[in-house]
Amino acid sequence: MRSRLKLFQGFGVLTLVAVLAVLAAGCGGGGKKSSSGDSGNAGSSGKTYPLLRTIWDAPDYMDPALAYTVAAWQINWYVYEGLLGYKHVSGADGATLEPYLAESMPKVSADGTKLSFKLRDGLKYSDGTAVKASDFRASIERLFKVDSPGVGFFGVIKGVSGAGGFAETKKGHITGIVTNDSARTIDITLDHPEGDILYILSTQFAAILPAGTPTSDQSTKGIPATGPYMIQNYVPSRSFTIVRNPNYNDQIPTMPSGNPDKMTAKIITDPVAAYQQVVSNKADYDFQVVPNDRLPEAQSKYKDQLKFYTSPNTYYYFLNNKLPPFDNLKARQAVNYAIDRNAIISGVYGGLGRPTQNFLPPDYPQYKKLSSWTYDLAKAKQLVQQSGTAGATVDVYGPNEDPSKSSTEYLASQLSKIGYKPKLHLLSHQVYFTTIGNQATKAQAGFTDWYQDYPHPVDWFDVLLNGNRITKTHNNNSGNVDVPSVNKEIEALKKITELTPEINARWAKVDKDLMVTYATTVAYMNRSQTDFFSTRQDLSCYSFHVLGQWDWGISCEK
Amino acid sequence: MATETTTDFTLDSAAVLAEDEGGPIEGKSPWLLAWRRLRRNYVALGFLLLFVVIVVACLLAGPYAKHVAHTTPNENHLGETFIKDGKKVPIVSKGGFTGTEFKAGGIPVGPQLWHAGGRYVFGADTQGRDVAVRLLYGGLNSLKVGIGSALICTLFALVFALLAGYYGGWVDWVLSRFFDLIWAFPVLLLAIALGTALSIDGFHHAGINIPAGSLWIPTGVISFVLIPYIARPLRGQILSLREKEFIEAATAQGASSTRVMASELMPNIASSVLVFFTLIIANNILTEAGLSFLGAGVQPPNPSWGTLIADGQSRIATAPWLAIIPGVAIVLTVLSLNIFGDGLRDALDPRAKVRIER
Repeated sequence: MRSRLKLFQGFGVLTLVAVLAVLAAGCGGGGKKSSSGDSGNAGSSGKTYPLLRTIWDAPDYMDPALAYTVAAWQINWYVYEGLLGYKHVSGADGATLEPYLAESMPKVSADGTKLSFKLRDGLKYSDGTAVKASDFRASIERLFKVDSPGVGFFGVIKGVSGAGGFAETKKGHITGIVTNDSARTIDITLDHPEGDILYILSTQFAAILPAGTPTSDQSTKGIPATGPYMIQNYVPSRSFTIVRNPNYNDQIPTMPSGNPDKMTAKIITDPVAAYQQVVSNKADYDFQVVPNDRLPEAQSKYKDQLKFYTSPNTYYYFLNNKLPPFDNLKARQAVNYAIDRNAIISGVYGGLGRPTQNFLPPDYPQYKKLSSWTYDLAKAKQLVQQSGTAGATVDVYGPNEDPSKSSTEYLASQLSKIGYKPKLHLLSHQVYFTTIGNQATKAQAGFTDWYQDYPHPVDWFDVLLNGNRITKTHNNNSGNVDVPSVNKEIEALKKITELTPEINARWAKVDKDLMVTYATTVAYMNRSQTDFFSTRQDLSCYSFHVLGQWDWGISCEK
Repeated sequence: MATETTTDFTLDSAAVLAEDEGGPIEGKSPWLLAWRRLRRNYVALGFLLLFVVIVVACLLAGPYAKHVAHTTPNENHLGETFIKDGKKVPIVSKGGFTGTEFKAGGIPVGPQLWHAGGRYVFGADTQGRDVAVRLLYGGLNSLKVGIGSALICTLFALVFALLAGYYGGWVDWVLSRFFDLIWAFPVLLLAIALGTALSIDGFHHAGINIPAGSLWIPTGVISFVLIPYIARPLRGQILSLREKEFIEAATAQGASSTRVMASELMPNIASSVLVFFTLIIANNILTEAGLSFLGAGVQPPNPSWGTLIADGQSRIATAPWLAIIPGVAIVLTVLSLNIFGDGLRDALDPRAKVRIER
């Protein structure tokens, strides 16, 4: 997923099943220990309080079939639940999958193509009706009927893809999902083994909704919830209110039942205005990152109310490996030498970031720190001369909003310093990734970033840098990185089930090959962000989840 | 914007007029009389001088950048230092993760005036770019767009007004509806819409190829949206003038339409055109600043006063000069043009009331 607006990337990942949940659990973020929710039965911490007042970013949708922004998911993960979910703890352990509406983790067939779930007994929606096994199938089918951005994740289920598949006809039922309401069983058959299927079933797209839910956006109308909370009202671009689900009754023992009785959110997209609301104690939490301009003040005056976190992400400049001048290795090496990673973090991101040369974020067990590129403009100029590409015009693309805009301007300025003629194209964030993902744009270099969809190297190397997955449009491999030997290795690695130290080392070599040997891309930063609270909040309860970010459900009031 | 043009006709005697003019008027051309009036208006001349100083300063942007500031307008200096009083000073403060905590950074150095040997006279921006250099280049771009669009706009407005006012009939109807159509949109919104659309891919129609990011885009957009605001009042004047005896006389002597328009009508509206032109420059500079501030005018990294204010907005608490300095530049430029324009109007026709209002 991209930074603000998650863009659906694709089509699942081919590795085998099951053990990933445990094996890939080493990719945590914040590092603060939670005071609650760290046991199998999360329950309530016993520190319930009446009202949490927040300032939030604008969610794209509240309907879980359509929502694909952090702003929506961070709310919905306490409202709409699926068969599986993540453990509500901070740190690396937060990547562990647990049964939510399912009674236990699924039984998986030997060939990895059949998964059997059983629903917990007595599950109810917030309107009091019973949760049925067939609702799961209806919810997945609804994704296709509402043109959910998540449909591609489910193409591996038997009966979905291909001619006459449900994705095409949207009629009848998906043959690969067989349910039995009285026995509460759900059997899923896949076309082939899919290593990330459990993670897919843990996304919001797989949340179980009542079978009769209309096949249109229900963001403002509300859908009966299965989690500890329900959405009481939502006025797009203005506000929403979350209240306790009256029929929850701790039906999911593996997740916290929540501390605040009610959560109100004012939607304010201007970070300065959002920050000011918390400063003036009109809100308890600011979703937006504290703006660079106010960070020194926040750090000095409100130090105890400020938390920093670095979720698994990488900011990088793509260089189009298939177009001149960056089809030339020396030209790409030159750009890597020309980027002062620390300077970008200071100047553009106000210090909120950590420099990197790896593509994989540091918390991954496959991460092996790379430090081959020291900032050296003279060497960069020399390499440009040697490459014979000096003087080439480079179309540089970036979003037109700061800080991405300034980051792109920095790239253009550095390209100019080492002998190229950059032409800057700044586009609205809404169309940016679609534009650079279209081969017709012929973007030669530009800004991009990636936040994990789920914690596995496949979500990075296969989705973003595997040459076999280059497409004409909606191309996630913005730099058209296509190194045949590395492609082959990625294809081999994603079929391997067990992430042993040897396999992790092979992933680390893929990182090194792509970032150093072939200098395909310029990775420069793991971005850090802030959570800012009012004095009413007791931050001893602060918990940062590797995917859900600030775990508001287990927050406490002083 | 509304335009008001009214002329009070009186039958003053030559003696009264001479008294008003402060000297004999016999044998003096209207332009000479206007100059005589203008040079007595010290306020207008003072602001003209200020405008000339601003223009000259902006024209010197290149030499200033090269020989004094030793940089270019778009060159970042992140991670670099400069010497001040024998000490190394970071151009943008360092920040980042220290191993235990995050240190806020990115605060650019403030105005150094002449303490840094001509570098960073007005400080640096968050990318370490010299604000003084960007201010001058930005001013140059703003003036290019402002004056260029004023020229184009006035030229088209004059032609349309002459055609509509002189020929009348269906020509007048078609052109008037065209003016109405543009007038129907709020001027800034129309400019934003056009500017935003054209800033993506540029303009590539009818054999005209203007790339995205070219200054011709804001220039063309501003010219287009403001045409009616000059053409309408000029058309009104021409409609009145074409009924005059001297036009009838010229036509009776066999003068062609083109000759009547060029030799008879244009000289009679020249003073209005000149005043409109002066005032519309100020107006266009403001429009350009607004468009650039909103990202629909001059495109980054090229500076304009509007983009400089937009860049400075995000650092208003820690580096207020980034927004204040270009703001002051806009105020001084627009003020000087407006006051000089008013003086020019008074000088060219002290009894006419020509003004451009929004």
